[in-house]
Amino acid sequence: MKWDLILSNSFYTAISANAVAYILVASGLNVHFGYTGLLNFGQAGFAAIGAYSLSIPINRFDWPWPLSMLLVVVMAVLLALLLGIPTLRLRADYLAIVTIAVAEIIRLFLNSVRFTWLTGGNDGLQGFTRFMENINPLPADGITLWAQKVDGYRLWLLMIGWLLVAVISTGIWALMRSPWGRVLKSIREDEDAARSLGKNVFAHKMQSLIIGGFIGALGGMWLVLDKQSSQPQDFSTTLTFFCYTIIILGGVASAKGPIVGTMIFLFVIQFVDITLQQATRTTPQDPTPLIPTWIVDQNNFSQIRYIVAGFALATLVIVRPQGIFGDKREQAFDVR
Amino acid sequence: MGPRDEHTVTQRRRIGLWTLLVMVAFSFVAPMFGARATAAETPPSVGRASGGTATGVREPGVQATDDEADIVVSVVEQQRTDDVTVNKPLPGVKITATGAAGPVTGTTDATGKVTLTVPKQGDYEVVLDTASLPTEVEAGPDSPTTFTVSFSSGVTIGSGAKTVNFFVGDTERAAINRWELLPQTLVNGVKFSLVIAMCAIGLSLIYGTTGLTNFAHGEIVTIGALVTFWLNQGGPELHLLVATPFGVAASALMAGGFESRIWRPLRRRGISLTSMMIVSIGLAIGIRYVYLFFFGGRNRRFRQYVGDPEIDFGPFGVTPRDLGIMAVSSVVVVGVSLFLLRARLGKAIRAVSDNPDLASATGINTNRIILTVWLIGGALAGLGGVMLGAATGTQWDMGNIILLLMFAAITVGGLGNPFGALVGAFVIGMFTELWTWVFPNVVELKTLGALISLVVILLVRPQGFLGRKERIG
Repeated sequence: MKWDLILSNSFYTAISANAVAYILVASGLNVHFGYTGLLNFGQAGFAAIGAYSLSIPINRFDWPWPLSMLLVVVMAVLLALLLGIPTLRLRADYLAIVTIAVAEIIRLFLNSVRFTWLTGGNDGLQGFTRFMENINPLPADGITLWAQKVDGYRLWLLMIGWLLVAVISTGIWALMRSPWGRVLKSIREDEDAARSLGKNVFAHKMQSLIIGGFIGALGGMWLVLDKQSSQPQDFSTTLTFFCYTIIILGGVASAKGPIVGTMIFLFVIQFVDITLQQATRTTPQDPTPLIPTWIVDQNNFSQIRYIVAGFALATLVIVRPQGIFGDKREQAFDVR
Repeated sequence: MGPRDEHTVTQRRRIGLWTLLVMVAFSFVAPMFGARATAAETPPSVGRASGGTATGVREPGVQATDDEADIVVSVVEQQRTDDVTVNKPLPGVKITATGAAGPVTGTTDATGKVTLTVPKQGDYEVVLDTASLPTEVEAGPDSPTTFTVSFSSGVTIGSGAKTVNFFVGDTERAAINRWELLPQTLVNGVKFSLVIAMCAIGLSLIYGTTGLTNFAHGEIVTIGALVTFWLNQGGPELHLLVATPFGVAASALMAGGFESRIWRPLRRRGISLTSMMIVSIGLAIGIRYVYLFFFGGRNRRFRQYVGDPEIDFGPFGVTPRDLGIMAVSSVVVVGVSLFLLRARLGKAIRAVSDNPDLASATGINTNRIILTVWLIGGALAGLGGVMLGAATGTQWDMGNIILLLMFAAITVGGLGNPFGALVGAFVIGMFTELWTWVFPNVVELKTLGALISLVVILLVRPQGFLGRKERIG
């Protein structure tokens, strides 16, 4: 077992550009669920919209990247309006079912053979990250952090990614302390009370959906920038549910919750995964793996992390619903 | 912290412990069918078994290892007219893959597919043996019978399986009137609707009596099919009809276990419905990947009722299997409806569904009713799972795939109303199959028909067909 490799890789994963993407997607969800009490199960749809609004125009139509990023914003707002107008007046579980359905519609569309000419289908799109490589001032061969090699492109993404996280998180923190943010929280606590004070509940919910959706789209964009490939299977509902795990881990309705939650979540998931990978590995010199193959082998070890993630979510909600660092008064679980 | 709080903490720990125990229990129970299931052989792998001279022979059914890969070949006969293309799978066609490691030969099964397993290196020439085609089918001039597949030496994501599709048939030959396809589409829609209805009634009853949106319902559907599969293909090799009751029992037990070990203690603690919904999501993800861990990612078929010829009914044809599925599920659905309407217990269930407090005040033991609902709902889901497995194959995430359709069905029909689930299932099932009729070129998006209908119906009539207005909030 190469513990230095396992630990350094797990630590790196917890702060990588991939982690930045998860933080952003989860932060958007936190605005919806944590602060406003909207049960959005379609955050993966926002992330997918962000990812493909960047990759399709650049890859297929040679748009300049700033225009493409503008499209990310526009599409995220449009999706929020599309979801919000029919469902925000209904009860919370209707929003849940419609959002999950729309997110699946988006993923099925992106995955379809028929529209491969546009979306790349199952293989996805590549080669849309050249602009990011071009503006990268860091040397391409990158650096070695402990035992983990990081190339220049990923290091650059990581650095501006964390800058983005700092801006967004501070923004959310400031917004939620403002009178506007307090209205959101009051909607979460008691919608009728907020309405009786003359607040436009629908408009506030819609604004929350737009802002959270926009942040989620940014996260999806970062996800595919890091992978240098946008593929539909990255935007299944599992992504949404992992983000729920993350914000519950880190603390619901807290600006630093998604950051802490993502770091813990990705560290644990990666640690479990890479440890098992090492422990099930065989080499010609040493044909017997550390763990007997009847328990777990090369082909199925990678499922363990999902099993851990799923049961962790269930156990967390039961044992500590406000999250590890959350404030009990802020937990949003009593939405109607 | 008062004594009351401490009590809650212990209770909370206890429930948390139970969640973990469920997980551990699964890890012990699942290998019983998982490990054997991998040793069982399934029709799509016939090719590997018959590839006697192949170097790629390995223990049948085992997933491709790192240095081996699957070439999934499918042969379809195309009948094309101006506005519609019909693809018919061709069984019994000989396929040979020749490459660095000698030829591997296989014959396509009833679904027109065959999987050839070859060492993952270099190029392979996949050739269709035109002599083995049915006499009336010709390989058209513009349909190639040879493909080259190459495996790169680098790391591949996923199983690295390659797909080869052969399209044969005289493209000018059959003139098909689209309207002639409609009866078949409708029959398929009825079959699919009935299966969804079976699975969704339980989900609706559970929502009605407890208010819980149970995301783990798909996993209850899957366990029925998995246990049946193990009894049928793995260990005892029972006939499918004999194995089915055990699968149904497994689903009912799992549902009952959920209720008595997780949901009832959580309700007693007064935990909110949203939390319970998220707990069910976590359980669903965890259990689903336990299935994948033990069962593998392949779609497997039961031993019986595969590739039977269709019975011709004139405008449409139905296999005996599908006829059986439709007959049994119609009987069960009608039976459950009569039970809910007429039987004492059924009335009690509807009373609890209407107003739990009032039902409790009239002397109905609510907790017992809720447990009954879980057992009935679980059993129905299990039966639905077996039928789905018989129709489309058993797969680790089959329940999760139709979960969204089940949700759509109960939402469209009216949340909490079991008859609404029936209506909704028919709307969703028909929309799904009709999509394939209206857009025959985009069949892979057929779920879209159902999901779009869900969104549209919610826009027009938010409470669903049979829902009550006050429920929509």
